[in-house]
Amino acid sequence: MPVYTVSHVDNVRICVVMVGLPARGKSLMSQKIVRYLNWLSISSKSFNVGSYRRRQKQQPTAEFFDENNEEGLDTRNRALEMALKDMLTWFNEKNGTVGVLDASNTTRERRKKILELLRLNKIEPMFLESYCDNNEIIMNNILDVKTTSPDYQGVNPDFAIKDFLKRITKYEQVYEPLNMSTDSDLTFIKLINVNAQIIINKIQTYLESRIVYFIMNLHIKPRTIWLSRHGESSYNLEGKIGGDSDLSERGFKYAKNLPELVSRYIPNNENLEVWTSTLKRTQQTAQYLDYPKKTWKALDELDAGVCDGLTYEEIQKLYPEDFKMRDENKFEYRYRGGESYRDVIIRLEPIIMNLENQENILLITHQAVLRCLYAYFMNVPQEESPWMKIPLHTLIKLDPRAFDTLVTKIKADIPAVSTYKEKGTTKLGEGDDAKFNIAGDIVT
Amino acid sequence: MPENIVTESSGRSEPLGDDTSIQPPQQPGNYMARVKSRWSNPFSESHNDADDKKISGGSGENIERDLKKRRISNSDFDAIHQEVSSDFISPAQLYSTESGRLFHAGQLCIALCGLPARGKTHLSVSLCRYLRWLGVKAKIFHLGDYRRSYCEKKNISQTFWNPLENANEREEIVNECISDIASYFENDKGQVVIYDAINALSKDRLDFHSLLTEKDVKVLFIESIVTDERLLHKNVSDASKSPDYENWDPEKATENYISRIKIISPIYQEMNEPELTYIKFINFGENIVINNDKFGFLVKKIVFFLMNSRIKSGSVFFARCSNNKLKFKSDPPLDEKGSEYFKKLNKTLLDYISKSKGDNFYQNIPIKSASKNEKQPPIGFDGQHENDFVVWTSTRLRTIQASQSFTKLGIKTRERTQLTQKNPGDVEGLTDEEIKEKYPEDYEKHQQDPYHHRYGRAESYHDLAVKIEPLILEMERMSGDILIIADETVIRVFYGYLMACSCNEIPFLEFPQNEIVQIQYNAYSNIAKRITIEGVDP
Repeated sequence: MPVYTVSHVDNVRICVVMVGLPARGKSLMSQKIVRYLNWLSISSKSFNVGSYRRRQKQQPTAEFFDENNEEGLDTRNRALEMALKDMLTWFNEKNGTVGVLDASNTTRERRKKILELLRLNKIEPMFLESYCDNNEIIMNNILDVKTTSPDYQGVNPDFAIKDFLKRITKYEQVYEPLNMSTDSDLTFIKLINVNAQIIINKIQTYLESRIVYFIMNLHIKPRTIWLSRHGESSYNLEGKIGGDSDLSERGFKYAKNLPELVSRYIPNNENLEVWTSTLKRTQQTAQYLDYPKKTWKALDELDAGVCDGLTYEEIQKLYPEDFKMRDENKFEYRYRGGESYRDVIIRLEPIIMNLENQENILLITHQAVLRCLYAYFMNVPQEESPWMKIPLHTLIKLDPRAFDTLVTKIKADIPAVSTYKEKGTTKLGEGDDAKFNIAGDIVT
Repeated sequence: MPENIVTESSGRSEPLGDDTSIQPPQQPGNYMARVKSRWSNPFSESHNDADDKKISGGSGENIERDLKKRRISNSDFDAIHQEVSSDFISPAQLYSTESGRLFHAGQLCIALCGLPARGKTHLSVSLCRYLRWLGVKAKIFHLGDYRRSYCEKKNISQTFWNPLENANEREEIVNECISDIASYFENDKGQVVIYDAINALSKDRLDFHSLLTEKDVKVLFIESIVTDERLLHKNVSDASKSPDYENWDPEKATENYISRIKIISPIYQEMNEPELTYIKFINFGENIVINNDKFGFLVKKIVFFLMNSRIKSGSVFFARCSNNKLKFKSDPPLDEKGSEYFKKLNKTLLDYISKSKGDNFYQNIPIKSASKNEKQPPIGFDGQHENDFVVWTSTRLRTIQASQSFTKLGIKTRERTQLTQKNPGDVEGLTDEEIKEKYPEDYEKHQQDPYHHRYGRAESYHDLAVKIEPLILEMERMSGDILIIADETVIRVFYGYLMACSCNEIPFLEFPQNEIVQIQYNAYSNIAKRITIEGVDP
């Protein structure tokens, strides 16, 4: 069941058809839409036409994209057909709800063809155009593509930039942007220079409005997100959950170390904002960081209700049935008088939207909340996310890029207890099930 | 630390402790478990919507007495224009903060703008309803109210002024309204103000913008533009319901209203100020243009609402499922008594609608052969036309069967999982006395906060409120009539949304079996009516 029960999902099938020149952040947005919807348990998948093209033609030069290059045109058309075919199969066989067709779709004729095919298959198209003539934004995207696109892997960077710019001009020659005089019948959203102006036309379902709402919160500038748990707390030492305890001595040490740790990876001239929960241990952890801070109630730890302040042994003794139920379905289990992971995800919605809106943010919060946030950024399935291992005294750095998110784990050299509990035991400590490790390289 | 300690403008915050000395915890091993709940206790302070008397929090008896004094007897009244106290907790609020403000979104003034008959008042009221439901402290200031009260005071019979004339009087009225707006922000912990006025001239808009910006309030303009003649015609014919035309002959009122539009149209300047943040809301949501938005989350949430907002012609009707004491998890087919009940419900409602619409409009709906395997068109298209009629039921077998009497008439019926009754959990089937005996602690907590408290494995009303958000927006998308057949617990929450009830009232609203509740949309406030189903026990 979706987290935000989008009503009658099974009756609605939507295809977000991307429109726009290369380097307008289309792939980044496609990835984000898919990630967000999957996080809400609405099945969603992106189909990148470029990668279908690469199966036939790897690393072509700009000439390949010329309107008069018949071989190129032929290959590109085939790629679109393959992507559409796979998408329709996915809709029908996997019961897909929202497909994203990640391609430039720059001409009106092409969009018309796609629309007809989708309607024939009872899928509603929603066009999403990223229109951009701001050079700074375009150059940023080009740099990102140059380093991450398979089209330019191993290619001389200077050549890559030149060739890519040339490729863009090839697309520009045939580009017909969406506009209100010719496309007023279509359901579309048009972003002009990210969000200097946004035009929304004929939104027809709640689910579409929800996708548009998310898109409006996006920006495509490069940015970094940092995640950290609070430093080790006295409750952690005693194996108790919840509460509002102070940091332990080692926890305070982590807090003291944090500014240096952060500054090593973030140049001084860059902006950073620190977000904490309203609980003491996160604020104590943030106290030496000389950056603007915000306190969010929505970042408070999962409320363990009647079990707040107990150890897992005590919970097992006092509420044996609950203890078992939680291990069986940790995502859905709601503590008596408290919350479940699903509840936490619902209250994190404003945080996610605000996060997408902002630039560099360091979040200092709690184990369960971080699991949910990490699951969002890394597309971790619902049933796995409550079991993710997120150790204390470790800074997690996330760099979202067009095709993936780069994770770096920075371990502070300060020992801390483990608060990880494996299924079926009351003992704490990280087992060796690699499935629940978070991604990325460890730096110490 | 409350959310308001660090405002967006204050830059760096003070470190909590002394930079040089690290303090280990004072008393190892003795920490208070979390005592602060996500909710400040809604019954701990007085509320403006209750009697002036302070409601005491402690003993169950007092609470019971005070609850009865609450607005229950008067819940047919839409409270959207009522002041709420600063510790008011909204039905779908996700958590409460000490500052009373949410999302670090600062203070926002939404200034409406547009010619008469563009649905500005309806938009102000429905937007305020949604924001307040989410927990944002919001209030509407209708400039028209200020004009009316000014005229009354000065004994002027004129109902309307040309924006280019009567400059002094106009200024006086506008200033009074703006000073009230400023006071709401400064003194009443207000987060959002909706300023409902025509704002015809660019100069006035720029002045208003700089005036509020000086006070650290962000200004968002929403301009309502209607190019669809049909919509315009409908709005004009609704004009006689405006407070300006109390005791007027409807025809004369419409005439007068049209003359107003004629005066203003030539001087009205459409919004095109690139430096301002504005939303053009065209033909009630058909097309939306957002310009220069730099205010973040809250504005996006507003656009989200606008995408789902429509001009209303119909009503929302609520009816109970057939009366039974079934177990939450059981799902038997409809019994004979239920079938009888639904026949009566069906007849009562359709007669009522036909009467009010003047003809048997629903009989003109073509009957489509509904095949099981055929994919239904997306739900979002439901109810878009003003003569549409849609029925929602839960996914329980008996309500699905019951709704077939509507399906046979060609009326669209939809099953919605969110309409399932509030899960009673461990206390299912127990009387109050039994609960008190079996779960004394829980019982006490429930008395203190019946809206948020959950018994073991149960859902709370708050859970329902969060769960039905998509349905609320789909309801907002509809122009025509909708009948919602659901359990009383679910109706309470929907009703709470439409009539702006607080979370203190919702658990106590009453919807007897033998009544259909009608909520009629009206630009200024919704109207609740009860229609008796003859021959059914309450």
